[in-house]
Amino acid sequence: MIQKKICILGAAGVGKTSLTAQFVYSKFSEKYLSSMGVKIDRKVVHVDETDVNLMIWDVHGEEKYKKIPTSYLRGASGILMVIDGTRIDTVAVAEEVRQRVLDKLGDVPFVYLLNKSDLQDAWSINENIMQQLQVTGSPILLTSAKTGDNVETAFSTIAKAMLPT
Amino acid sequence: MNKPHIPKSISQRLASYHLANLSPAWVELAPNTEQIKSIGGKWQAYFTKQPKVNTNISDYCDTLQGMLPIEYAFELPHMQLKDNTYTDIIAFEDVSGGWLLFLDVTNNVLELQQYQQAANELHLLKGQLDRTLSRHIGHEIAQLAVDGDIQLNTEGERKIISTLFVDIRGFTNYNEKVDAQEVMNTLNAYMHEMLQSILDNHGIIDKIMGDGIMAIFGIAASNNNHVEDVFQAGLTIQQRIKALNEKRAQRQQEVLGVGVGIATGEAVLGILGSHERRAFTAIGKHVNLAARLESNARAGEILLDEVTLNALEKTPHHRRVNLELKGIGKVDVYTVVLD
Repeated sequence: MIQKKICILGAAGVGKTSLTAQFVYSKFSEKYLSSMGVKIDRKVVHVDETDVNLMIWDVHGEEKYKKIPTSYLRGASGILMVIDGTRIDTVAVAEEVRQRVLDKLGDVPFVYLLNKSDLQDAWSINENIMQQLQVTGSPILLTSAKTGDNVETAFSTIAKAMLPT
Repeated sequence: MNKPHIPKSISQRLASYHLANLSPAWVELAPNTEQIKSIGGKWQAYFTKQPKVNTNISDYCDTLQGMLPIEYAFELPHMQLKDNTYTDIIAFEDVSGGWLLFLDVTNNVLELQQYQQAANELHLLKGQLDRTLSRHIGHEIAQLAVDGDIQLNTEGERKIISTLFVDIRGFTNYNEKVDAQEVMNTLNAYMHEMLQSILDNHGIIDKIMGDGIMAIFGIAASNNNHVEDVFQAGLTIQQRIKALNEKRAQRQQEVLGVGVGIATGEAVLGILGSHERRAFTAIGKHVNLAARLESNARAGEILLDEVTLNALEKTPHHRRVNLELKGIGKVDVYTVVLD
């Protein structure tokens, strides 16, 4: 079985741990608990007739005074970059982290997750931001850790992107 | 005499003082491999079974899979190797081979987590406050208020501002003949165009009154004179409503027009209301004038007072009209000739 390490990255409070918990354990909690360091989970996904054992590094949120150490990225084959669709400032954080990942790992597959898609009334991602993200060429998915929308797809998309063509 | 090096007894004391609560364990690796040469310390704190010599360390600690051999020194802070525990992993090399040091930092991290949680919750709350304010007074002014750069207080501040009123014509009749849900959808469609035109031109939404809006200009920071902003907002409203009506006509939906009234003058700005319920507002003679102009404006029309017209850098095409305004009397006002 192929094993791949992925890192789930983004600003604090965007829903990285919730997306991982929904994917691995089918669980969601409304309570916000700030993650520290890294928690590693595993799950096998089946893509293109191949089983991929995903080692998911759920990394603490990027903050102004607490940057994500690049040592966490060592050996990663793909990145899930999470943006909170209701908080426009998390787009800039994602961009900053993306640059650091590219410097460290080179051109690894990215998938952007615009999370909290269930909160349509507070949604703040406009056309300009979508175009800005589309320029990167990475897939963009609207996800909801709460409802589970597109969560399986998010992980299988990154798994597929990491497989040799 | 000042000795440059820390005496051995001091460094040993410091090491034991700091390491006492960290339950250190270490693994020595054969050069350029992940094969265990020796192991020491409290390995039970980190591994479920004792790592054996001549086997791979990643068989016992899958966190390290893909990270070895140690090509260059690295640290993995705050790794959750087991539930509710945090470990710092430090990897480095010396002449004999590679070393992995495991330190239990759970107590330290749990304490940090409390601060982190509070700080993140505050950050999220500040964002929520910003978004709530943005919806009412525009992003720019909300940001100024959240950052403390402007005060919205009850004392009142005198300032020359421009005020714009806009209202949907014929809405009451429409309201009476159509289902409430459809009325709500229509109102939202028109409101969206009007509000966006105001916010895009640095206006602050003072009130939404049924199918009308009162907005003030000259408070939010802008590169333009507020008279230019308010006039531009009026034009944008009529342009956007025209575009909306074209789309609605194609879909055979009801088409409505809006009237705009604009006036400029001194106003007292401040907070009205009691401790429990407060609202930011502007009070002044020109505010009443703007309201009267709006109520006289026909669908698709913008009526300006003389102060606004004269303050515009480039005088727009206009016609002078003498109107009898309720509570004000006869006054010359100006209707903007739109393309």
